[in-house]
Amino acid sequence: MIDSTLLMMLVVGLVVSFAILGMFIWGAKTGQFDDSNKMMDGLLFDSQEDLNDAVSRENKKEKDKEEQKKSKPKN
Amino acid sequence: MSKVKCNHCHLEFSESIMIKEEELNFCCKGCQGVYHLLQDQNLDSFYDKLGNKTIQPPLEVSSDLNKFDTQSFEKIYVTEDENGYKKVDLIIEGIHCAACIWLNEKVLYNTDGIIDASINFTNNKAKIVWNSEKIALSQIIEKIRSIGYNAFAYNSKIADEKASLAKRDYFIRMMVAVFATMNIMMLSVAKYTGFFTGITPEVRHLIHLGEFILSTPVIFYSGWIFYRGAYYGLKNRILNMDFLVSAGATFTYIYSVFILFGLKGESYFDSVSMIITFVLVGKYLEVLGKKSAVDTLDTIKSQIPLETTLIKDGKKVEVSVEDIQIGDIVELKTGDKASVDGIIIKGESSFDESSISGESLPIYKKANDVIFSGTLNQDSLVQYRVTKTFKDSTLNSIVTLLEDSLASKPKIEHKANEISKGFSVMILTLSILTFLVWYFFGIDLGFDYDGVSHFEKSFIVAISVIVIACPCALALATPIASLIGISELAKKGLLFKEAKFIEELARTTKLVVDKTGTITNGKLSVVKAQILDENIHKLDLLYSLLDSSTHPISTSIKEYLKNHYKNLSLKNLSNVKTLQAKGMKAIYKNLEDKEFEILGGNQKLIEEFGIKYKFDSQNSVYIFAINKKVIATFELKDEIKDFAREFVSDCLKNNIDVIMLTGDNQNVANYVAKEVGIKTVVANINPIQKAKYINKLKEEGHTVVMAGDGVNDSVALSSANVSIAMGNGADISIAVSDIVLLNNSLESLNQAFIISRKTYKFIKQNLAISLIYNLITIPLAMAGFVMPLIAALSMSLSSLIVVANSLRIKGK
Repeated sequence: MIDSTLLMMLVVGLVVSFAILGMFIWGAKTGQFDDSNKMMDGLLFDSQEDLNDAVSRENKKEKDKEEQKKSKPKN
Repeated sequence: MSKVKCNHCHLEFSESIMIKEEELNFCCKGCQGVYHLLQDQNLDSFYDKLGNKTIQPPLEVSSDLNKFDTQSFEKIYVTEDENGYKKVDLIIEGIHCAACIWLNEKVLYNTDGIIDASINFTNNKAKIVWNSEKIALSQIIEKIRSIGYNAFAYNSKIADEKASLAKRDYFIRMMVAVFATMNIMMLSVAKYTGFFTGITPEVRHLIHLGEFILSTPVIFYSGWIFYRGAYYGLKNRILNMDFLVSAGATFTYIYSVFILFGLKGESYFDSVSMIITFVLVGKYLEVLGKKSAVDTLDTIKSQIPLETTLIKDGKKVEVSVEDIQIGDIVELKTGDKASVDGIIIKGESSFDESSISGESLPIYKKANDVIFSGTLNQDSLVQYRVTKTFKDSTLNSIVTLLEDSLASKPKIEHKANEISKGFSVMILTLSILTFLVWYFFGIDLGFDYDGVSHFEKSFIVAISVIVIACPCALALATPIASLIGISELAKKGLLFKEAKFIEELARTTKLVVDKTGTITNGKLSVVKAQILDENIHKLDLLYSLLDSSTHPISTSIKEYLKNHYKNLSLKNLSNVKTLQAKGMKAIYKNLEDKEFEILGGNQKLIEEFGIKYKFDSQNSVYIFAINKKVIATFELKDEIKDFAREFVSDCLKNNIDVIMLTGDNQNVANYVAKEVGIKTVVANINPIQKAKYINKLKEEGHTVVMAGDGVNDSVALSSANVSIAMGNGADISIAVSDIVLLNNSLESLNQAFIISRKTYKFIKQNLAISLIYNLITIPLAMAGFVMPLIAALSMSLSSLIVVANSLRIKGK
């Protein structure tokens, strides 16, 4: 009984840990931990305004890319 | 007069000099401009983010924007991505805090045509992607400058991308190892507690299983670099440290897997991951050091101009710096950076040499004075004859030097690798011998097999020899201490070209110093002042005139006045003009609206304005006059560096004999030596004699360190055991020296000795720790007294001791 509980805990623990590790590796690979100072100051940049900004930046990028694609065939 | 804060930069200034605007105060037009720009663009939340922090007032930059759109610039720095967008890597100057990053990114993102702009706060490097059909790069740079920052391009392809990738790769590998090891340690605590409190075989098996799952990525993913290192070592027929680490880890891992799947005994997955993690952390620190060196290098490189104006047959032509020949005439406008070294032939100006020497005060240069590449022309147009090609010029030499030091492996590391090579072979041999003796002769020798089979017991004992000897402590002993020592030294502005100089510096018995530039500094100080009219109002005017200049002479006299007269106040001067290489002129209006013409400068200026006043002196002279009447005169001379006396006495205390060798005359040399406490002085000596003197000292068995700066010191510097170049020194002396003092102060030179002695002490301690550890544990392991479990624990402990011991270098 105890052993099966332990086994389950071990499995759950390892799965959760590896999931977190996986997310961490994804973050590191996409360069999110490259700038240690900026990461630490991240708290300063998460107001509603900043988050809205981030969304509008993404939208702007997408829009620009679409425009670029449209203009390419003409060339 | 009370001080008020500037509303943009938050620096405090006297209220009288502030630009007032209702409730607002600005220290300069730049701050005022940026403040209003941010208000207009609704970016005033920048000031909330800035809080109480101060920033630098907007940088004054020249209008060299066109260069960013030139073909030669594009060829070197601009690339195109798959979408057809342009990409450039920049270093942003003037960033102080997170708010600066926020402001720059926000302004750039809000600009039409900019697709991506991300700035790294740690190294101030930025990546900008833009649509060249909508905006030009020069417009982007202009945008950055408009908010008070400046940007330089650098080529990330050369070293930065490689270093960044290596850093990221090691970081992920290290974090995986740290994560797994921490979890394994938790499981191990349960397992070891079980030894005393009782544990069922099933639970122990479960723990082993968990450890197996966690340690597998550590050995095969994190530890991959050791296998790679071992493979390349074997390919070149070298058994290196990587080989021992990977062999030890693999053997222990395989053995533990056997235990997991039925063999009787204990598994040692914890020691496998500990070995890998510890050595990996050390390697990561090394990679980190390299990355920050690359960042420094990129910053220096970005300062090098790409094109320069030559005067050819009376015409101005723009040429690439690589095409400049010795003997060409270069024209340098105000705000331009010199790209090659040369000698001024026409014009006079002040030069900011901070990028070379770290000295913030500008240096006045006239005809026949030497111009170093990378220095900034601050006030007027000069023409100079090129004496060195771009490749051999100062700035490029420094860059090459730093690149070389990055590429070369410290000699001490070579030595450590050689030791480890022998060590690896010895341990492997001992381990195999142990196995053979235990397996074949164990019974005859009466060994205790604890009821397990011969093979198993012999294998366990042989493994424990490898595990216990796994030279973590030895591998970490020198590099960790050297690394911490060198980074501590670098923080103080001391660049060591090789780690071995730490050892040499620590063993110094004779320190030879040059006088000018080493014991005395180029900074002028007032040696004689004649105040002909002590009226405080007139001195206020002098003080105000001096305050509006950053010239070394003005700064020194201002300092002198501050120390000698209290209650000096700044007056509002108008029409303040700098008369190149002569001095300054200004107008003062008193309350009755009466105008006064104020002049301050050298003999030439006084003569030019028709004032008859003869003043003969060997020193630099400053004459101050109001309405053509001379009020005060000053004579200025080179002064002895701060801390010189303390430095010499510190050296003597540590049994380092200080000797001064100078080309100057005996009287001056004796005076300076007496002032600072140097007992041995050799004056009137030429560079060759200096070198001979040092060689003689070396022949007597002394470890000789030479500190100097000029071209005249270069031969002597190259003769000494360790040579130290003062940062503002000539390029040749920097090239031949082993240590470069960036900030030029004797305090840092003293720190070089203190930190080196400390580091060397810790290296010796670390080596002693690992040696004693191995001497005790290896025989015990061979005799079968140390089980792999204890071997792993004690090995980790020895590594921890070495790391903790090395960290003490940072202390105090």
